[in-house]
Amino acid sequence: MLMSRLLGKQLVISVLTTLLALITLAGIFAPFLAPHDPNLVDLSHKLNSPSLEFPLGTDQLGRCVLSRLLYGTRVTLSLTLLIVASCVAIALIIGSIAGYVGGLIDNILMRVCDTILSFPSFILAICLISIWGVGWQQMVFVLITIQSVYYTRFIRGLVTNLRQQNYILAAKVCGSSPFLIMIRHIIPNLLSPLVIVVTLEIGWVIMDISALSFIGLGVQSPTPEWGAMINEGKSFLLSHPRLLLAPGIMIFCVVALFNLLGETLGGKKGTTKSIRKSKKEPVEGLGGTQ
Amino acid sequence: MSLLIAKQISKTYTASSWFQSKKKEHSAITNVSFVVESGMCLGILGESGAGKSTLGKIALGLLPPDQGSISFQGEDLYRVNRHKRKQLRRDLQVVFQDCYSAVNPRMTVKQIIEEPLRNFRRLSVSDENRTVANLLETVGLTINDMNKLPNQLSGGQLQRVNIARAIALEPKLIVLDEPVSSLDLIIQKQILDHLKELKEKIGLSYLFISHDIAAVEVISDRIAILDKGEIVETLDTSNMYACTHPASQKIIRSSL
Repeated sequence: MLMSRLLGKQLVISVLTTLLALITLAGIFAPFLAPHDPNLVDLSHKLNSPSLEFPLGTDQLGRCVLSRLLYGTRVTLSLTLLIVASCVAIALIIGSIAGYVGGLIDNILMRVCDTILSFPSFILAICLISIWGVGWQQMVFVLITIQSVYYTRFIRGLVTNLRQQNYILAAKVCGSSPFLIMIRHIIPNLLSPLVIVVTLEIGWVIMDISALSFIGLGVQSPTPEWGAMINEGKSFLLSHPRLLLAPGIMIFCVVALFNLLGETLGGKKGTTKSIRKSKKEPVEGLGGTQ
Repeated sequence: MSLLIAKQISKTYTASSWFQSKKKEHSAITNVSFVVESGMCLGILGESGAGKSTLGKIALGLLPPDQGSISFQGEDLYRVNRHKRKQLRRDLQVVFQDCYSAVNPRMTVKQIIEEPLRNFRRLSVSDENRTVANLLETVGLTINDMNKLPNQLSGGQLQRVNIARAIALEPKLIVLDEPVSSLDLIIQKQILDHLKELKEKIGLSYLFISHDIAAVEVISDRIAILDKGEIVETLDTSNMYACTHPASQKIIRSSL
């Protein structure tokens, strides 16, 4: 907030997006940027200090930390994208139906959501993974299941609010079908609050992926993933803290960048709360009336 | 010829709660009957909370009444099949009070006016442009306003856009739900004169809902006075000062 007041909103947004784009590009072009194979075990080089050959040193199996970080960006960001995109798609469909149709259908869908929301999300994720088994596919599936509930409630709140706008009534009078009203009026007006929330939620998803991988329920070794790397490095916390610090700093930077971007995009106070923190749907900042 | 006939319509809002066996009922309108004659304007005059907007929504076919029937061009608005209803919609349009909330803030003036045209007519792009330009001219705007967004227009201009959208399909009846209440007096006069002119030019009929006695007097042929959800008196505008019911006397004398 302070930053955007000092430097101007546009500038802050462009700086943040540039940084995030750089990190994403680093992930995409990891095969060209990484100096070594991230999974190449070379015990003769184990726990090397940073040098020209290994800019961030090597881990306990002699694998290049920088290469693993770069490949880890790929894993983390693509899983995050997959999870968030699926959640938005599911939530747009269910949330719009619940919000627009209302009545009994809305009630049933929302009580199901309430049931899922009544469990702490991380504990629920751990429980579900322990039922369905360990692995990144299961983790993605579980996170989509839990996350989409938050998104559904959020979108339902927005749609219920939009539905009462006069332009929806006017569109009905003009003879537009519910489907056309959805496409022409409701979804376009959902997008700006949705983009803000998605940006804020990406940070949380990255944290979830890393946390689940850290406790060994998500991405499995030897796949390079930041949370899994912290897990592997934790035995060397005192002797070689860089093994933890390197992925830790990456997580911190990416999450912070996304959160700052979300807050800057949100602008007004009250619109930038994460949907997890406040279980009530934020409805301010709707582009409805003047 | 009677265009819109409302017979004994009632609407009650109930607030139900899971924990209360007794439902809270609030009756918005009770046993309201009125007729809008073709080519005429019926003004519905009432205080805030008298049920005016509920009546407007029922007349538009947006809110089913609990009792009674609304027939438009001889067909019951709430009992016809979907296809027929869409056809009836074409002849029944609306202008709302709050011109800003009545348009999608993301659509340009052209897109707003095009919406009803696209739903009912298949026009080529050039025909569509010409129709929109004609409509804008009819309501006193220019072609330059075509690509503006609602927030670039003043309240009066935007209300003209709303009117253009309402007349785009050449309807028979327009429900005017306090169309000038949010505008200043000069613009009010302009819009009302304009509506009056349209009425004579295209042969439109209006159901004019308002609390503003002056506005109703300018445009209406007949006035129905709505008090606490009931129509207490219906009379011609010319002799509206001869009203007898105490509630209508109160409203009519309240003009500044």
